[in-house]
Order: sequence, then structure tokens, then C-alpha cells
Amino acid sequence: MVALARKTLVYEWRRFLPAILAVGFAGLLQLLQAALVLGIFGSASVYITGSSADLWAGYPGTQSVNLGRPIDAGVEMRLRMDPAVTQVEPFHWVDADWRGPSDTGGVSVFVSGIDTRADGMMFAHALPAALRARLNEPGAVIVDRADLGSLGVQVGDKAVINGHRVRVVGVSSGLRALGGVNVVASLATAAELDTDPANATRMTYFVAKVHDPDQAAAVAARLRGTTSFGSYDVWTARDFARRSQLYWMFDTGAGAGVLFLAGIVFLVGAVITSQTLVAAVIGSVREYATLNALGVGVGALRKVVMEQAFWVGAIGLVGSALLGGIFFAFARSRSVPVALDPITVAACLLLGMGLAIVSGLAAMRSLRRADPASLLR
Amino acid sequence: MNAGMPSSTISLQARGVAKSFESGRVRSTVLHDLTLDMRSGELTLISGPSGCGKSTLLAILSGLQRPDAGQVTALGQDLGQLDIRALERFRLLHTGFVFQGFNLFPALNAVEQVELPLSYLGLAPREARRRAVASLEEVGLGPRMRLRPSELSGGEKQRVAIARALAKEPELLFADEPTSALDAANGQTIIDILHRIARAHGTTVLCVSHDPRLVGHADRVLAMEDGRILSDRSQPSLPDAVPGLKESAS
Repeated sequence: MVALARKTLVYEWRRFLPAILAVGFAGLLQLLQAALVLGIFGSASVYITGSSADLWAGYPGTQSVNLGRPIDAGVEMRLRMDPAVTQVEPFHWVDADWRGPSDTGGVSVFVSGIDTRADGMMFAHALPAALRARLNEPGAVIVDRADLGSLGVQVGDKAVINGHRVRVVGVSSGLRALGGVNVVASLATAAELDTDPANATRMTYFVAKVHDPDQAAAVAARLRGTTSFGSYDVWTARDFARRSQLYWMFDTGAGAGVLFLAGIVFLVGAVITSQTLVAAVIGSVREYATLNALGVGVGALRKVVMEQAFWVGAIGLVGSALLGGIFFAFARSRSVPVALDPITVAACLLLGMGLAIVSGLAAMRSLRRADPASLLR
Repeated sequence: MNAGMPSSTISLQARGVAKSFESGRVRSTVLHDLTLDMRSGELTLISGPSGCGKSTLLAILSGLQRPDAGQVTALGQDLGQLDIRALERFRLLHTGFVFQGFNLFPALNAVEQVELPLSYLGLAPREARRRAVASLEEVGLGPRMRLRPSELSGGEKQRVAIARALAKEPELLFADEPTSALDAANGQTIIDILHRIARAHGTTVLCVSHDPRLVGHADRVLAMEDGRILSDRSQPSLPDAVPGLKESAS
């Protein structure tokens, strides 16, 4: 079988280049957009994903982790009473105002008051034991390395939160959050920074570990049934993280914007690609008509066009995968929040291939002009 | 003529064929009630001024267009009975075409151009290659079969197009103005090749041309004007124009 589609693609590559570039850039844009969205909105749940807890107990209906309201401290007892729960820890969230030594004005920060024990669950993935121990010093705080600039401090500098003096005792990575700068402190420091006296006996969240993480959903369902310690709800870490991300993605309108942009990218890519493929078909329409006169069926000719569309898609997407990989590594090295998982990558590449196939289908229609009778003029 | 040839049977028949086209309110009749028989092993030339309906007649006889009235029988098959798929199949198995423009794929070299339709015939790659090479050698392009159209002259391109039609070993070969884009010498070579194919393979070759130089090379000349056949002349057997040819029927 003569590989007409491939040979034409190689020989007339200039003709197909716009389509390859269109598919390639569409794929690249989808990949980078997905990486940024996942990276940025993933950081909305950094409190949850950076921690090793299986269960989160908080105010009922809390849509995102940064919207927590205090719940009764007795909930801790209720969690401990469950036989499946092995460890419980409070998490004190304070919405606060930061004033640094440099001229940065007021910065809105989220203070995370955590248990500083070496086996503490909060930020277990971001804070090694030695760093956690430094928080025991009164007024000690840790911030993400990438936030030093916006806070106007260096390690060792002093600053003021809600009128109380604090000192930056260390930096880490993986603490960046969405909506405000995340400042980690001990529970005692956080309690001091909390200006609301009503919160003295209350806590924003209690996080817990269970024996078998696979049973977390069942334990959460069991625990949320009771109301003996006021109103509270219990979610698995996974659910709560997803809930927080979805809140940021959709309730803020950002997700709709992202989907809109993805649609535009698809549309523009498809228009360019299909036009290029149509031009390629029209450029060879007399040759196709001759083949049809010789008895090669229209179905076989369509296959040639679709094969070209497939190769255009495949080459373009290899390009977008390579470039995407380079950009991704570069963004990571610059602490730009990007994240990708195999499913998302596959979805983006599939979308790009879909674009090529749709364009091929559009181009296939122009084969109708390949009427052999039209050659007899 | 060609009395000794076993294949001089009627292979293509038109009975009362008529065709007209409408453009706006004007309806112009291109073919008037045409009846025609063609024999295998003959090169028939349809000549006439442009617009006389000769290309339309070729399109109808070859099954590329359907007549408004009348019947075309090719190799005993009534083409009017075949649907589009069956017509494609019929053309694939039995007919070859050579057009005025050579219509070669720029990306393929000569041997690939010829192999391409063969692969749709379901031939094994080795057999397709063998036939393609043989056809190119038959039209005298053996040494140039690795070249792409951009590296071939007009006459050579037309010979590739003929080899592409020939390699399918068709019983019917249709050629539409095959020489009009070529100079005299190349035109002469092309018509000689077509003539030789008719003789050597017993193929029915139907050639449409307004080129008066071709008249002397055809076995039979039909002169057309205004959709009618004015004259139908069979010519005495021609001497071989290309020296060194062998007659397959001998």
C-alpha cells in the first residue's frame, strides 16, 4: 500500500505546517492552562493536601477551608470517642493583618495555628519535625519561601500580626495558599493573635487520623450524625479538598473563565486546522478525482484525508507535549503554582486530537469536489 | 481489419444516448440520440471542435456520467443498472483513464503513482510493484521510475499517467485530450503508445481529441459536431509507428 497520506504530508509539509502549529499550540495552551488551574486552585486546599489527616471536622456547610467558622472545642472529645480514630488535633485558623518591617503596607494573611509535635498532622508534608519544633518559641512563624517578597521580610526578621509581634523563624515550600498569604504558627501563638474573644474556647477545625484510611468515608458518615457538641460536620480530607478547590474554581467564576478559554482555544484551533486541511484537499482535488475515475472509492479517499488529519494531530501534540514539559519544568523552578496529573494530560492531548479529527471531518466534505466528470473539460 | 485478432468483439455499446444540460432557463442538448459500437483492440478517436459534446460522450461511455436517455453497455454490463458503488467497482476492475492534465500526486515518484490504484485492487505489494514496473517499462520510463512529477517533463508525466491506467490491465481505456498539453513530438509518442496498447493488450481505447495530428494514428475516427456523429471512418491497418514493438496477438 502506497502511504499517500504520509508521503504527501512529508513532501508538502509547508502546506500542512499551519495545521500542525494550530494543533500544537492549542494542545500547549490547554496543557498550560490545566497546569495553572490545577496548580492555583490546588493551592486553595493546601491546608488539607499538605496535611496527613484523614478527617476534617468543621462548621456545617463550610464551602472552602479558608471559610471556616469556630466550632465547639468539645467536638475533639466526640472524635476521640470513636474507636476508629487514632489521633485528633486542633487547627486554629485566624484571618489576620500583617505589617512587615519593610514598606509593604498591610497584607492580608491566614494564620494557621498547628500542633507542633513531631508527629503532628497539620502540614506534615510541608514542615519537617525540626522546623515544626522552632514554632514552639512564642511569636514564632514560618512562611513559604515564595511569600517572603510580598511580606517584605527575611528569615529572622520581626513583623506585627494583629498588633502582636512575631518573628519569622524559618521558611518552607508547599505552604502557598490561594486568597492570602499562609503564615504557620503554633496553636498558642495563633490563640494570641486571634483578636476575637469568643474564640477562646472554640477551634476552627479538628483533624483526625483513622486506623484504616480506606474506611475514612464510613467514619465521617458515622461522626456527622450527632449534634451533642453543637453544630459541626465531618468530611474526609479528599472530599474537603475537592470541595475547597471547586469552590474557588466555580463560585469565584474563575472556572467558567477557564472553560470558556478552553472552548475558544479549541474553536480557533479547529478553524485554522480545518481550513488548512481543506486547502490541502482542494490542492489535490484533481488527483483525488483521477483516483476516483480509476475506481478508488470515495470512502478510501476519505480515509486518506482522515489519516492526514490524524498525523497532523499526532505531530502537533508531540510538539505540545515537549514544549509543555519544558514550560512546566521552568514554572516549577520559578515557584509558579503548576500541577498536572496523567488524566489531565491525557484529556488535554485527547482534546487536541479531537480538534484534528473534527477538522479532518470538515475537510472530508470538500472531497465532494473530486468529481471525475469535472476532469473531462 | 485486425481480422486475426481474437478480441475484435464489441466491447462498448451506446444505444440512443442523449444528454442535455440546463443553465438557468436555457436547456442545451449536448448529445442527440447517439448510437455507437466499439471493438476491442482498436484505438477509436473522437474528434471535433470544442463544445461538440465529445467529452460528454466520453464521460457517459466510461460511466462517469449518466445519460438522460439511452443505454450504455460496457463488457456486457448495462452501466445504467449499477449504483455509484458498483460503478466505482466496475471502473476499478475494468477501466483506465488518461486526462489532459496529468493529475499526478506531487509527493509520489513514478512507480508509486502507478502502484497507488493497484493497491486498491487488492493486489499483493510485490505483485503491484511488478505490474507498476512493467507498465512503466512499457511506456519507456523504466530508467526514470524513481523520479517525482517535478523532475519529469510533460511528455514523461503523461506517460506515467498512461502507465497508471495501463497497470490495472483494463479492458477499456479512455483518454481525454491526452496530447493537448504536449508538443508535437511528445504528442506523437503518446498516441503511439495508446495505439500500441490497443494492439498489444486487445484493449478498447477511446480517445477524445480536437488535435488533427492524431487522426492518422487511429484505427477509427468519429467526427462529431453539435452532439451528432458526422462521419465514422475505419482506417486501414497502420504501420507500427514506434519501431521495435511486438504484437501480442501474433
